[in-house]
Amino acid sequence: MSVLLDLAVGTLTQGLIYSLISFGIYITYKILDFPDLTVDGSFPLGAAVTAVLLTGGMDPFLTLPIALLVGAASGLCTGLIHVKIGVRDLLAGIITMTALFSINLQIAGSNLTVDRGTSTIFTAPATMALLGSLPLLYRKLIVSFVIVVLLKLIVDAYFRTKNGLLLRAVGDNETLVTSLSVDKGRMKILGLVLSNAFVSLSGALVCHEQRSFSATMGTGQMVFGLAAVIIGTTLFRKVSFVKGTTAVIIGSIVYKACIQAAISFGLPANLLKLITAVLFLVILALGTLREKGGARHA
Amino acid sequence: MKNNTLKKIVCVIVCLTLVMCLAACGSSKPSSETKIKTIGINQYGEHASLDNCRIGFLQGLEEAGLKEGVDFKVDYQNAGFDDNVNTQIAASFAANNVDLMCGIATPSAVACFAAAEDKNIPVIFTAISDPVQAKLDSGNITGTSDKLPVEAQLDLIRQLQPDAEAIGIIYTTSEANSVSTIAEYLEKAPAYGFTIEAIGVTAQSEVTQAVDTLLSKGVDLFNNLTDNNVVGVLPAILEKTNEAGIPVYGSEVEQVKLGCVASAGIDYLQLGRQTGAMAARVLKGEATCEAIPYETISEYGIYINSAALAEMNISVPADVAAKAIESSEA
Repeated sequence: MSVLLDLAVGTLTQGLIYSLISFGIYITYKILDFPDLTVDGSFPLGAAVTAVLLTGGMDPFLTLPIALLVGAASGLCTGLIHVKIGVRDLLAGIITMTALFSINLQIAGSNLTVDRGTSTIFTAPATMALLGSLPLLYRKLIVSFVIVVLLKLIVDAYFRTKNGLLLRAVGDNETLVTSLSVDKGRMKILGLVLSNAFVSLSGALVCHEQRSFSATMGTGQMVFGLAAVIIGTTLFRKVSFVKGTTAVIIGSIVYKACIQAAISFGLPANLLKLITAVLFLVILALGTLREKGGARHA
Repeated sequence: MKNNTLKKIVCVIVCLTLVMCLAACGSSKPSSETKIKTIGINQYGEHASLDNCRIGFLQGLEEAGLKEGVDFKVDYQNAGFDDNVNTQIAASFAANNVDLMCGIATPSAVACFAAAEDKNIPVIFTAISDPVQAKLDSGNITGTSDKLPVEAQLDLIRQLQPDAEAIGIIYTTSEANSVSTIAEYLEKAPAYGFTIEAIGVTAQSEVTQAVDTLLSKGVDLFNNLTDNNVVGVLPAILEKTNEAGIPVYGSEVEQVKLGCVASAGIDYLQLGRQTGAMAARVLKGEATCEAIPYETISEYGIYINSAALAEMNISVPADVAAKAIESSEA
């Protein structure tokens, strides 16, 4: 029983930490309709900066706002390249992502490990004072849960502001935004800045959790985020807009649970991705079928 | 509207149940037998050297008197070079309360060590060039390093090619192992009368371009490191260098089998055996990981591929031939 619980707690933690990537993708892909590949670079950027700061002895909690800022800067780059220079959306993201690969290595020097003696947000004095009696596994879950829920509430609140409504409008109806004499380019940049700040923070949390930065850790994160967003929004298709953030958190957890299940079944690595793909398909198909069924009954 | 809320709640419940079920399915296997020890092996990916490490590791355990299925069982997982899968494998080992984790290659060892922190599960690593740089040299962890015998390799090249001057090396800038080995080559090459032309790449797709660049710079030979990225496309490298008539030296026996002319390198099977012996001591309770310092292999083999050497018109001096092991596949 405890094994089961430990696995579930570990998977939930992974899902929560990585759900910040799906927050980012939700803003760019779902709201702005912007396929942003910066993600594969801004995710390790957050981890690289965090690894360097942690080994440099900075307070673990201070690394989080810094990761947000550097992530925002990377989003700003993609935004400026796209809006001001007029490079196509996909290519703008690719340019920043490619540059970030080198930048990340410049920041961290090489793949970097944070030793056990260095405290992370999960072992910092403040965390220990509050949750010190719990094992590390549970501290990780609680701390990530608090951070993710806090950010979710902030994002939800932002979407209800005038500025947030405009951001949402850019993806749906650019003409409307322009007719309100709002610069749609500026809104796109803002969206990219927000999105990559979240992605970078996710990288930072992974660095705290894994105690390491690897140059290749960003590979495929865009695809992960996209899958999480689509799983989440498919499962919650009929739910009102604001809950989109909740949906993508659950999408992220479901994705990680699929991988965990595939690993736990002891599947060979070569088949892992195939099985994961089949699991997604089943989930998505169930979501669609349930909706059709509901329509018939209605 | 009410119906909608109900649906939402049902959705959430379905999701949570799904997560729990999936987790439950996988975890039902272990803990049935109490005495038998479980070893979780996390191998970063599949290639010949890493596979040999794993095979050797299991041999080492058997040689130490532990029988698979009687004294221990193995949960072998392979991350397929995917960092996210790697993390989750390590986490599932921790959740399953394995008695020992074995990380093959640096990223796997780092992930295992991080996952083992909470329960303080002992971790044994192998195939890591620089355990100190990877911060794996203290704590409940030990293992074996596959640091390359740089001087032995330079000496071998000098004996086989007395007139050679420039050595071309391609390495991946993000692989810490490679970066530290390059530094050692740059430092030690002048003593053997060599200059080093090193080109760093960031991805496998850049390797063949790097080969062309090195060929155009007129290097006398290529030398490989244990760089996963570069070794992964070795056949493509050999195709170009064979055409240009430039020999390639490997960093271990598997590369010589693939067509490199020679190598002063590690036998990963042996490295694995040494690691298995260390793991056996920990499992038997003879020593803790803290008490065992990490080990490197002190003896290196000379491996040659006669067919490839003949093609490059390189003759092997008698004293080298005497201790060399013929390693061509054919």
